[in-house]
Amino acid sequence: MKLRFWSLLPARLTGALLLGIPLAVIIAYSLLTRGDYGGVEQPWTLDNWARLADPLYLAIVWRSVWIAGVATLLCAAAGFPVALFIVRSGRWRNVWLQLVLLPFWTSFLIRTYAWIFILRDTGLVNTALTSLGLIHKPLPLLYNDGAVLAGLVYNYLPFFVLPLYATLEKLDTALPEAAADLGATPWRTLRRVTIPLSLPGIIAGSVLVFVPCLGAYLTPDLLGGGKTVMIGNLVQNQFTSARDWPFGSAVSMAVLMLSALSLAAFLRHRTARELL
Amino acid sequence: MLRDSQNRALSSRRTFLVAGGASTVACADRRPRLNVFNWSAYIDPAMIERFETERGVRIRYGTYESNEEMLARVMSGNSGWDVVFPTHSRLGPMATHGLLARLDHGRLPGLAGLDSRFQQPVWDSELHWAVPYMWNGTGVAYNSKLVAGVEAWSALWRDDLRGRMTMLDDPEDVLGVCLLKLGMPFSSVDERQLQAAKAEAIRQKQYLRAYLNADVRDQLVSGDVLAAELWSTTTAQAIAGNAALRFAWPTEGFPLYCDCAAILRESTRYELAHEFLEFLLQPDVAAANARVAVTATANRAGQSADPVLYPPGEVYARGFWPPALPPAAQRYRDRLWTEIKSA
Amino acid sequence: MRTRGLASWTVLVLFFLYAPLAVLVAFSFNTSRFTVWEGFSFAWYRAALSDPALAEGLWNSLIIALAASAIATIIGTLAAYGIWRRPAPWLAGTIYLSLLTPEIVTGVSLLALFQWSFRFLHLHLGLFTVVAAHVAFSIAYVMIVVSARLREYDRSQEEAAMDLGATEWSAFRRVTLPYLAPAIGAAALLALVVSFDDYVITSLVAGVDSETLPMVVYAMARRGVSPVLNAVSAFIVVVFGALIVVSQRLQER
Repeated sequence: MKLRFWSLLPARLTGALLLGIPLAVIIAYSLLTRGDYGGVEQPWTLDNWARLADPLYLAIVWRSVWIAGVATLLCAAAGFPVALFIVRSGRWRNVWLQLVLLPFWTSFLIRTYAWIFILRDTGLVNTALTSLGLIHKPLPLLYNDGAVLAGLVYNYLPFFVLPLYATLEKLDTALPEAAADLGATPWRTLRRVTIPLSLPGIIAGSVLVFVPCLGAYLTPDLLGGGKTVMIGNLVQNQFTSARDWPFGSAVSMAVLMLSALSLAAFLRHRTARELL
Repeated sequence: MLRDSQNRALSSRRTFLVAGGASTVACADRRPRLNVFNWSAYIDPAMIERFETERGVRIRYGTYESNEEMLARVMSGNSGWDVVFPTHSRLGPMATHGLLARLDHGRLPGLAGLDSRFQQPVWDSELHWAVPYMWNGTGVAYNSKLVAGVEAWSALWRDDLRGRMTMLDDPEDVLGVCLLKLGMPFSSVDERQLQAAKAEAIRQKQYLRAYLNADVRDQLVSGDVLAAELWSTTTAQAIAGNAALRFAWPTEGFPLYCDCAAILRESTRYELAHEFLEFLLQPDVAAANARVAVTATANRAGQSADPVLYPPGEVYARGFWPPALPPAAQRYRDRLWTEIKSA
Repeated sequence: MRTRGLASWTVLVLFFLYAPLAVLVAFSFNTSRFTVWEGFSFAWYRAALSDPALAEGLWNSLIIALAASAIATIIGTLAAYGIWRRPAPWLAGTIYLSLLTPEIVTGVSLLALFQWSFRFLHLHLGLFTVVAAHVAFSIAYVMIVVSARLREYDRSQEEAAMDLGATEWSAFRRVTLPYLAPAIGAAALLALVVSFDDYVITSLVAGVDSETLPMVVYAMARRGVSPVLNAVSAFIVVVFGALIVVSQRLQER
């Protein structure tokens, strides 16, 4: 048992030093007063937390939850058939899986930048549609919620496919087959057997997509053209141009609590817990 | 959970480590160093090399994209940087906060070469804190082939340009332009005026494609964007790519910004930092930097005849140097900005 | 029939995943600055290669990614092992929470810690603060990968070794560690990639001497679309793609 103590020690130390203490500092900051040009000052106050209840900021939180939710649904819609296909593709499984995951290994910034390149007025889509004579003037594809959603789905789709694949892989193939033998249509088998059995994977994938989308700040910044504010942009703005560190800290803590709540909901599923 | 997919390159990792260790040793450098933190694309790289060879020193040169980014780093007073280039309106607050070192004019004879407008600027009349380096103004960049009649800020509310216009992603500038359009002062602290400006900005938002800073340059050149609130420097760079682009210095007046070289108080290389500032003041160095960065120099030497960079006298007279905003007004404006952005 | 539907859908999704990258790579060979094809050229690669900021960024990124992934792999593997021996809910909770913390919050909290503590310690932000930050967020990735492998590990193997007289430590070193090796390699690679790729946290805790490749790329992207950026992207896409494919092959053998 001594080995267990020593093996956990480095993680305990780094966890406390680099995750625990920073969190404590942020909590302390959220209870202090802003300095005129950044930083924090005495006295201690609850004002920053009270400001969170302001409808202006609640609307931003709601908006972020909504966008992250839609992105998660889109990932589920796009990713579920893919995971199902990969599991059924026999010895090519690994190749397909690698193909889906490969883009994830390239730079996040570059993946986002690629979308600017494609969606702008003189970008690929508009150039193609114009030269085919389908449109006469460019469609406004960039700098709206659609572009932000495209970027989010693009970046986080592998996060959904992977855990789902892991669940489906372990699924007993006899069950859907039995359902089919008993006369269930493929659609009914999917709805009544496959989806319920793969629920842990769906939940794990949803959390892995939802949480980073909720706190996203680069994607809405670069693809949304600064016309939408998500909660991540609010945090970033408070720490930079607004120079209001205490309020920025309070918003950060709020994001963190929302994330922790999603995680807690996820961990309530025992089967999901095993996946992690 | 990720196990099935992720794979191993232990052997190549080891090679990397060995190679990395070897060259880190090779990189060790005994020359004295100076850490310079400047706006991106704001110097002629050849001038850095020249300073390094002439003085036998090494410059660590880092870049930033906004004053806020720089301030966030140096605010703590232990960032490690020696020389930074804040915009003039940030100098006062930075000095008050104790971040800047007083300049020693005895070490800066090159100050005499500054353009007369920058010998005693309104923000730092005795040049206590910083040496004016480059300057530019905010106006309207537009595509003259497709848009005509752009002379004022109000052009950025034109219905026929709907979806083809951008504003800067900067609260001070957006609210300031709205104030100017309404005939109010750019740096107003009056809450009623600011509320009116906010309403104007929200009304404008439906016409806008996006809030973009330097990123808009290529979209102007390619014709995606037809009119944009933009800095004269960035516009001059865009004009080099598309001759149909023009820059209007708006009739309602316009803000001017001067980026100044300052020495941080935390710096332990006070003398070398002065040498670098004096080097930047040399006529040929200033000219080279202005030419490569395509911007207006604060030196007499190296100025060009480009009216986009150097507005003629009667136009220049409409410009003003916005002062630092008082903290309370700043706070009020930040909230309005969030309201505009989430409207 | 249904499989064919699934297959076409998968191909469609793959198109969605690859088309943007393919376009980016294709236009890195374009003569023109703009999205109009004018001719084939390596000019942007030459420009990228001769850019000292890019070279320095790449170099810093490599050092940081190698150091951070090595440290995180050691700490994470040991932690996964310890937790496998007997659960440590608080530790696991803290570390997995870090996986779910939005990057901006992680970055800001680390910056706050560094700025606050360095006032007493007389240190500056720099390469080591970036490495520390990367270690902090990479441990969770390592733990996930290694834990997954440990879940299928039979406890009796270690016990058998100890019954034969091995100490706890040598049983771990001789039996468990070799079993975990592929997972540790995978974890190290994952940590390497997430570290190499990070922009948000790095940009907040970076100081003098620690401008990374993503920071240079971000600065370029903010200054507008540039084919040099396409060339850099193509380079990253190809190098990382090759690295992953090769390591996959090595593992299958």
